[in-house]
Amino acid sequence: MSDTRRMLAEMADPLFAELGADATMDRDGARLEQLGLPALLMPEADGGFGGDWMDALTVFRLAGYHALAIDLPAMIVAKTAGEGTEAHFALMAFARTAQIAGALDAALALSVGYVNERQQFGRPLGKFQAVQQSLAGFACEAAAANCAAVGAAQALERGDAGFEIAAAKLRANRAVEVGTTVAHQVHGAIGFTHEYGLHPLTRRLWQWRSEYGNDAYWSKRLGTMVVDAGADSFWPGLTARTD
Amino acid sequence: MQTFVTEAVDWPGTAPDLREQVRALVAAHGERDPVRRANCWTKANPQFSKKLGEAGLLGMTWPKEYGGHERSQLERYVVIEELLAAGAPVGAHWIADRQSGPLLLRLGNEELKRRWVPEIARGEAFACIGLSEPGSGSDLASVRTTARRDGSDWVIDGQKVWTSGAHVSHFMIALVRSEAGSERQQGLSQFVIPMDTPGVTVKPITDLTGAHEFNEVFFDAVRLPAHALLGEEGAGWKQATAELSLERSGPERYLSSMVLFLELVRHAETAQDPALAELVGRLAAEAWTLRLMSASVAAKLARGEDPALEATMVKDLGNSYEQAIPQLVQAAVDWERIDAQVVQAVCFYLLQVSPSFSLRGGTREIVKGIIARGLGLR
Repeated sequence: MSDTRRMLAEMADPLFAELGADATMDRDGARLEQLGLPALLMPEADGGFGGDWMDALTVFRLAGYHALAIDLPAMIVAKTAGEGTEAHFALMAFARTAQIAGALDAALALSVGYVNERQQFGRPLGKFQAVQQSLAGFACEAAAANCAAVGAAQALERGDAGFEIAAAKLRANRAVEVGTTVAHQVHGAIGFTHEYGLHPLTRRLWQWRSEYGNDAYWSKRLGTMVVDAGADSFWPGLTARTD
Repeated sequence: MQTFVTEAVDWPGTAPDLREQVRALVAAHGERDPVRRANCWTKANPQFSKKLGEAGLLGMTWPKEYGGHERSQLERYVVIEELLAAGAPVGAHWIADRQSGPLLLRLGNEELKRRWVPEIARGEAFACIGLSEPGSGSDLASVRTTARRDGSDWVIDGQKVWTSGAHVSHFMIALVRSEAGSERQQGLSQFVIPMDTPGVTVKPITDLTGAHEFNEVFFDAVRLPAHALLGEEGAGWKQATAELSLERSGPERYLSSMVLFLELVRHAETAQDPALAELVGRLAAEAWTLRLMSASVAAKLARGEDPALEATMVKDLGNSYEQAIPQLVQAAVDWERIDAQVVQAVCFYLLQVSPSFSLRGGTREIVKGIIARGLGLR
């Protein structure tokens, strides 16, 4: 991780943690503006932060991790692409992918912490194999969503990311199903309360899965792309994108 | 919490040329029948392995002194993902090139290295792994095959089972109990056993498709010289489990059904069924993600790190993916269509062999248990 990106993460992480799911534009918007976060992707020459797509990934993911209630990713994207355009839709799909990745990791951390603490039948829930196997599956899905988000950011850095954003949003969408299901299952009733901090994550996850292309939308688009290119182009095409 | 840290893989500049080389070689000497291209790393073809050896594509990362080519780990990764994606018949040399050669180079004495490593790199010596026994599957530490000293020799007695490729292999690296009365992980050692040693008997086990890929191997007073001991006496457990990351995260853990995916795409080109296009999209997204994950682990391994948790996740996700492909294809394709014959043949073959994908190299339950431990759950 570059030094500026680490700095960015060290600034955003505690701030988003503090603002979190209760943040409002009226009360907290100014703090984000002060730090220059909405101008993250604008060139320094234009008074922006001059960040790249990996920087954007870091901020989007942390916004997801802390279920930041202000749609900062949308503010950042709006400064690089006009709303209603194809580019704007794709970049917002990337943003939601990164937010899903972050929120899944946060929900996983909550779940692991909870099952290691909560005792039933004289031992922590985390000692039960059934619980372990569910959470292992969840961890794999969270990992896949995170890798997909990174892959899309890398493609944006290279230039054309049409294929990667489609694949990444679709993969992240699919991870939401297992992630939210297992997180709630291992938490039991407490995870279903308004008081406990799981629902700000899981309810956002369900929202982000729908926004900027649900599973059907992206699988149709990606599938059509692949079928139109033809079977013999799939693998050479995939490798040529990274070589 | 972030359990899987991806990084930008620095693909070698030689990658495009290597890919072209492999694609040309597979086009000239590989399998044409799509069914035979499925699950290709269990398909032994010694002639093809020899071609790869002659092309300098085996033992790629090993020292030239031992017949290797001193290429980078990622260059090797490029070659193996190309071979697997093309469904090349790489089964004969797969184990030897992936792990037996590296293990010999890391721990073997000079005699063992000189005897086997250059021959592996030429594609002429193949290896099998002796781990499972009749009473020892997932619970590997319950190994009962013994090695006892007799003068300076070792004498091996016992039995291995489910040994893939034993019938085409020239040697086995076996995990056996070398200390009488020892328990569990203690007192185990690894031995290099030439398959033509008197007292070694290989019996085929026919799988549910009627194919012969794995075997029972019996050892009846098999006499080995002192230098057949690999590495340190009593350190067999540590040695055998040390390179599991390498074994678990390779592209063979997600590409076993790739040929069916490609046939599905080909079928979808003519079938014009929106449901098939959607399935193609879903499977393509998964393939793209898994390639990124597998390559990311390979990059970490190349730097000398041991990303054990990440590697195990690749295996779990990858196996689930290669198993899901035939199930999903079966559910989606209209089998009444005359142009569905090829995709059907591959699909029905993979439906039958895919249960093995989440058994070999550690069952799904064992793998998930390892991930759970990595998460701090036990």
